[in-house]
Amino acid sequence: MKKWKWTNLYLIFVFVMLYVPIIYLIAYSFSEGERMSGFHGFTLAHYAELFADTRMIQIVVDTLMLALLSSLIATIVGTLGALAISRTVRPLVKNTVLSLNNILMVSPDVIIGASFLIFFTALKIPLGFGSVLMSHIAFSIPIVVLMVLPKLQEMQQSMLDAARDLGSTNSQTLARVVLPFITPGILSGFFMAFTYSLDDFAVTFFVTGNGFQTLAVEIYARARQGISLEINALSGVMFIFALLLVIGYYFIQQGSQSRKAKHRKESEAIIHEAAH
Amino acid sequence: MKRLISMAVAILAVALGLAFWSQDLQRSQGATGSNTLNFANWGDYIDPALIKKFQKETGYHVNMETFDSNEAMYTKIQQGGTSYDLTVPSEYMVEKMAEDKLLIPLDKSKLKGLSNYGASFMNQSFDPGNKYSLPYFWGTLGIVYNDKFAKASELQHWNDLWNPRWKGNIMLIDSARDILGFSLVSLGKSMNTTNPTTLALAKAKLDQLSPNVKAVVADEIKMYMADNEAAVAVDWSGEAADMMASNSHLHYIVPSEGSNLWFDNFVIPKTAKNFKAIYAFLNFMTDPKNAAQNADYVGYSTPNDAAKKLLPKDVRNDKNFYPGKEVLDRSEVYRNLAPKTVGLYNDLFLEFKMYRR
Repeated sequence: MKKWKWTNLYLIFVFVMLYVPIIYLIAYSFSEGERMSGFHGFTLAHYAELFADTRMIQIVVDTLMLALLSSLIATIVGTLGALAISRTVRPLVKNTVLSLNNILMVSPDVIIGASFLIFFTALKIPLGFGSVLMSHIAFSIPIVVLMVLPKLQEMQQSMLDAARDLGSTNSQTLARVVLPFITPGILSGFFMAFTYSLDDFAVTFFVTGNGFQTLAVEIYARARQGISLEINALSGVMFIFALLLVIGYYFIQQGSQSRKAKHRKESEAIIHEAAH
Repeated sequence: MKRLISMAVAILAVALGLAFWSQDLQRSQGATGSNTLNFANWGDYIDPALIKKFQKETGYHVNMETFDSNEAMYTKIQQGGTSYDLTVPSEYMVEKMAEDKLLIPLDKSKLKGLSNYGASFMNQSFDPGNKYSLPYFWGTLGIVYNDKFAKASELQHWNDLWNPRWKGNIMLIDSARDILGFSLVSLGKSMNTTNPTTLALAKAKLDQLSPNVKAVVADEIKMYMADNEAAVAVDWSGEAADMMASNSHLHYIVPSEGSNLWFDNFVIPKTAKNFKAIYAFLNFMTDPKNAAQNADYVGYSTPNDAAKKLLPKDVRNDKNFYPGKEVLDRSEVYRNLAPKTVGLYNDLFLEFKMYRR
């Protein structure tokens, strides 16, 4: 009993440490006054200020659109890449490609950002939405590959053999056997890429320009004058948004699980009938 | 497979929807493409109401992008890929950009109201004859004190900071040239000293200050001072104005032996395209009424004398924000130093910060 208590205490401690700063930040978004020193009474003025700030809203919208697009494209490219890696037979080639992928994962954002800046300017690609989108896709691909690959490795060869024995073509095997099996990996890859894109600062900072701005870069630039409580209000809204995202992800996962359970039941019923 | 495809289509649809929304928001701010003025500015460094007014009066759309340091802005322009029409570097950066041929000279015949600017703010050493730049705001480096803990008479000179009375009670702004700069001034030397021996002396003097130093911080200094966390701080005038607005016990002093005089200036980078909009904007911002409104919003000192006359009496007569000619004459503008000397400043300052007692 005693041991159980201690581990629980530790868990509570960790969660408190993680969540108190966020709650503190959000609580102050309801405070009157201009800065985060002393709570001065309840107001929604900062939220009103936020929703009246068209520029800020536009930046939020742009950031979301960028995150959705870049993670979608990165998911497609990354999934295809993972399929290719898993099919590679020669271990040397496989390991080299995987290592190249991992190097991109671990190299610091600042270096990736600086190299993209040099790359884009050398090719005379104007900085702006296009350049930011391309670099977000680029740094998201390795994440997707890493999320999808374990699922592919988990898949048993016998499943593919069975599909082939039953006469399915390569594309049919891919569409009906492989992709459904790795869907959870693809989804988590998409969500990881989405969050990476959403909160990326360093890379975006280097390659943005011509009026296109993401949230992280804008907040950083505004912080020079001391962060106004409008940013707190925005953090509150974004926190709720993230919460909804997590809940949505949970339901998608639940949905696929219950579908699987249904499939299992149906096939069991068929086997049952056949046995009779 | 079908499920994945429908998900992808849904995501695309949402992204498309967001793109339209963003377009719509952009249009509601008045953008139509060709009549845009791309303005790179420091964060929160212009009254948004003025931008709206400018757009309404002239029909041009201002596309403002923010930067947080001269160096970041410089890199963006030097690398190309941006199309800024107008930007606001500090004085030493104007000099550097002009040297690197990144600026387009101002066409004085298109500028109205040049006479509004005070003579002491024009024709500065970083840009003789204002070939490239028009001053936007200016200010000084000085001492902020809290009258709960300190009296004005105790802090009239830079040397007063070394008084043991302020043990662990001074906050410094995290800026190599400013901190070494006031140490140099206290020794009677120039803030643009390049002599390594003199700099070592200034650093040795700073080391003696370290028992008094509570912290070397950046923007947070405003918050700490407003919360009565320290008696004394060394900071820029604009920052001081911000603090004083939130805590009436704070006061700002420019030591009479001189200080740094800094300028942020409008310049036209070589990437500029829409010259009609640029001059319309510069003339709009030179207008005394607009400049006064902007100075009121930003809280820094305006170089526009005609605008200064429109400011509230207690602001324009405040000797600490609009110091008299004697102090201005004794104050120095930072010159663009050779990279080696800049490195020396940074190294010495880092040593001071790291080996604090």
